[in-house]
Amino acid sequence: MGVVRLLRLGVAATVWILGGAVLMLASQPARAVPPFARQTGLACEACHTLPPELTPFGRRFKLNGYTLTTRPPLVNDIDDYKKNTLWLTDLPGIAVLAQIGYDHYDRAPPDTQNPYPAHAQSDTYQFPDQFSLVYAGAVSDKVGAWLQLTYNGEGGSVGVDNIDIRYSDHTYDNKFVWGVTANNYVTFQDVWNGFGSYTIPNFNTVTLYQVGVAGAGTTGPIINTFGPGIVAGLGGYVFYNDSLYFEFSEYHSSFATGSTPVADSSNLAANSGALDKFAPYVRLAYEKDWGYHSAQIGFNGMYVNWIPSNSYISAQQVLAANAAGNTYTPSQTFNPGAINRYTDLTVDWQYQYNGQHNIFGFMGHITHEKQQNSDQLVAATFTSPQGGPIYSNSTDNLTQFLVTAEYFRNRHFGGLVSFTRTTGTSDPLAYGGDGSPANQYETFELDYVPWLNVRFLLQYDAYQVLANNQNPFTMSNNSFPTSPQWPNVKASNNNTWVLGLWMDY
Amino acid sequence: MKKFMNRSLTVSLSIGAIALAGALVGTVRAADISLPPDPGARDAATLVSFACSKCHGWNTNGVSISPIFPILAGQNEVYIGAQLRLLRQHGRADPHARAFMWGISNKLTDEQIDGLSKYFSSQPAVTGRPSSNPALAAKGKDIYENGVAEPKVVKCAQCHGEVGAGTNNVPRLQGQHPGYLALQLHYYHDKLRENKLMNRNVANITDDQIAAVVEYISTLTGDEPTDDSASVNEGK
Repeated sequence: MGVVRLLRLGVAATVWILGGAVLMLASQPARAVPPFARQTGLACEACHTLPPELTPFGRRFKLNGYTLTTRPPLVNDIDDYKKNTLWLTDLPGIAVLAQIGYDHYDRAPPDTQNPYPAHAQSDTYQFPDQFSLVYAGAVSDKVGAWLQLTYNGEGGSVGVDNIDIRYSDHTYDNKFVWGVTANNYVTFQDVWNGFGSYTIPNFNTVTLYQVGVAGAGTTGPIINTFGPGIVAGLGGYVFYNDSLYFEFSEYHSSFATGSTPVADSSNLAANSGALDKFAPYVRLAYEKDWGYHSAQIGFNGMYVNWIPSNSYISAQQVLAANAAGNTYTPSQTFNPGAINRYTDLTVDWQYQYNGQHNIFGFMGHITHEKQQNSDQLVAATFTSPQGGPIYSNSTDNLTQFLVTAEYFRNRHFGGLVSFTRTTGTSDPLAYGGDGSPANQYETFELDYVPWLNVRFLLQYDAYQVLANNQNPFTMSNNSFPTSPQWPNVKASNNNTWVLGLWMDY
Repeated sequence: MKKFMNRSLTVSLSIGAIALAGALVGTVRAADISLPPDPGARDAATLVSFACSKCHGWNTNGVSISPIFPILAGQNEVYIGAQLRLLRQHGRADPHARAFMWGISNKLTDEQIDGLSKYFSSQPAVTGRPSSNPALAAKGKDIYENGVAEPKVVKCAQCHGEVGAGTNNVPRLQGQHPGYLALQLHYYHDKLRENKLMNRNVANITDDQIAAVVEYISTLTGDEPTDDSASVNEGK
C-alpha cells in the first residue's frame, strides 16, 4: 500500500478520530442537575423543557452565572466595604449523572482484525455508557461553575469533561446582564443550545463501529468538535433588554488531554490536530418571549487556524511506509507548518411553547463552513518533500442543516424527530470513497420520564447517506466492501436502536 | 511572542470593553451588588432584582410574561403576604407552588415577605382588554356576576368584586393572565390547591365554564365600587 494511500486513509480517519475524540471524552453537554435544584429551590422544570434544552428561565439562570440561590451561606466573611470575601453554602453542588444504554445495530459490526468475523454481535449493553461527577452551582455571589469529570464506558477512560466557569452581574432593573465565561467546549456556554456541542441525539449513543456515524462521528463543521482536551477559551457577553445577546470569545489549544500541544509539532499532530494561535468566536442572538411562547433567531461565526492531524503518521503507517521503501519515524510530522483555515458561519433558530401541560419545540441551524487547505497539502500546489497531497481542492465547502421537532406531555411522555443533512464539495483525497462528505440521518426518540431526574428513552437512528462512499465499514478494513462475507454494505447498516436510562442525582 | 501578546491584548480589551459597557449603563453601585447573598440580608428590591424578576417580570415590574407565573403588579398587599407565608410553610401545595415557590420562599423572613408584598402591590397594576370572543365573554360575565344555579357555582363577584379588584385578602383578578386563572380554577376544582371556600365554590364548575369566566375576567377594567364586604375569604 503506497504512502499516498496511507495518507488518504489518514485523512479520512482524522475526520472520524477528531469527532471520536470529542465523543469519547466530551460526552454530552450540560444537563439538568439536582444541585441547581437544591441551590435554587426550583424543580428541574423551571430551567428545562427536557434536558439539556433550556426554558427562558433556565437561560437567564445560566446567563446570571448559575448564582441564583436560596441557601444561606454556612461560612461567610466580608471586608471593610461589606463585600464578600468568602461565601460557602452548607452543601456543595455535587451531582452524579449516569447513562446506561442497550444498543441494537441493524447489522453486526465487523471484526477489525479479521474480515470474516465469527463472533460479530449486534446487541450490546453500555453499562455505564457514561458516568459523571459534576460540581454545579454558585462558587460565590457572582461566580458559578459547571465542572464535570466523566468516565466514558465507550472509551474506557476518565477525563475532565465539560467546564464552564462564569462571572456575572446585572443592573437592578435587569436591563443589562453581563458576564465572563471560561469554558472548554465551543458553544457549550450557549443558552439556546441548538448547535455545535448540543447535538441530536443528545443521549450519549454508542454508534456503530466505536467512533460512530452519528453526531460527532459523521463529517460535520469543525466547530462541532471543539470539546474538552482540544480547546479552552475565554469570552465576554452582554444580554440587553431581556432579548438581545452578544458574545465574543476566543479559544486556544488546550492541554487537557495530557499532551503538550504547544511543545512540538509531533505532539500537535498526535493530539488529533490542534488549534493554531487563537480562534475568535462571535455570537449574536435575539429572543422574543410572549405568553407561553419563546422564539429566538441567532448567528454565530468562528474563524480557525487548524493544524491538521493528517500530518501525523501512526506507527502502523510507519511500518507500511518503511516496507514500501521510505523511512519515517513514529510521530513524525509529514508536512510541518501546514495550516488549514476554517470559517464557520451558523444561523440558528428556536421556537418553544412552554405550556402548563404541553411543551412543543422546534429548532434548527444551518452551518456553512469554508475550509481553505494549506497549499502544502493540496494536489495542485503540493510542496512537501515527503508523501503525497491529501486534499484535492484548495477550498472545500461544507453545509450542515439540522432541524428538530419535539413534544412533551405533562413532563412524563414525549419524543422528538430530528433530521440532519450535510453536503459539501467533493474532495476524493480528503474524504476517500467517492469524495463526498455528505451524510443524512434522522433520529426518532420516545421518552418516558417517571421522575424528572429519571428518564427512559427508546431511540432509533436511521441513516440514508454517509461519507466515504456510504460505507461505514471501510474505516476498519478496506477489504470489507468486496468481501463475500459483507456484500452490499450500505448506510442503513448503521441504523441503531437504543434503549437508554438516564439518571441524575 | 509580540504577535501573541497583541492578540491577547485585543481579546482582553474586547472583554474589557463589554464589561465596561455594562458598567457604564446605569449600573448597580458597588455597595448594592456587594450585599451578602444571604436572603436574610437582602431587602425586597434586591430580592426582586436577583430572584423574583426571573419569573415575575424580568425588569422587576411584577408583570410576568409567561402565564405559568402570576402577574404580581398591583396585587393586594395582604394577599401577597398571606400567599408567601403559605408557600414558605408549604401550606399551599398545588403542583406549580411546589415546583417553583416552595424552595425559593423557604428562607424568606417575615420582614422580607412584608417588603415584597409592599413592593409588588405598589407596582402599576395591569388592567383588562377587549375580548376577541365576545360570546364566550358574555357567558363568562353571567357566571362571574350571577354564578350557576345547578349544579351550583358561586358567583365570583361576591368576593372578588365587580371589576375583579379583590380586597385586602381576596386576590385581584383583573389583568391576570387568563391561563393562570384557568389553571388555578382547575387546581381548586381538583383540590390540588386547597382552600375550603374556593374548593366548595367551584366544586361543580366545568371546563367550558372555566374558559368562559376567565375570558370575561380578562376584559375587566376600572376601580371597584367602594364596598369592603367581601372579606370572607381568608386569602388562601
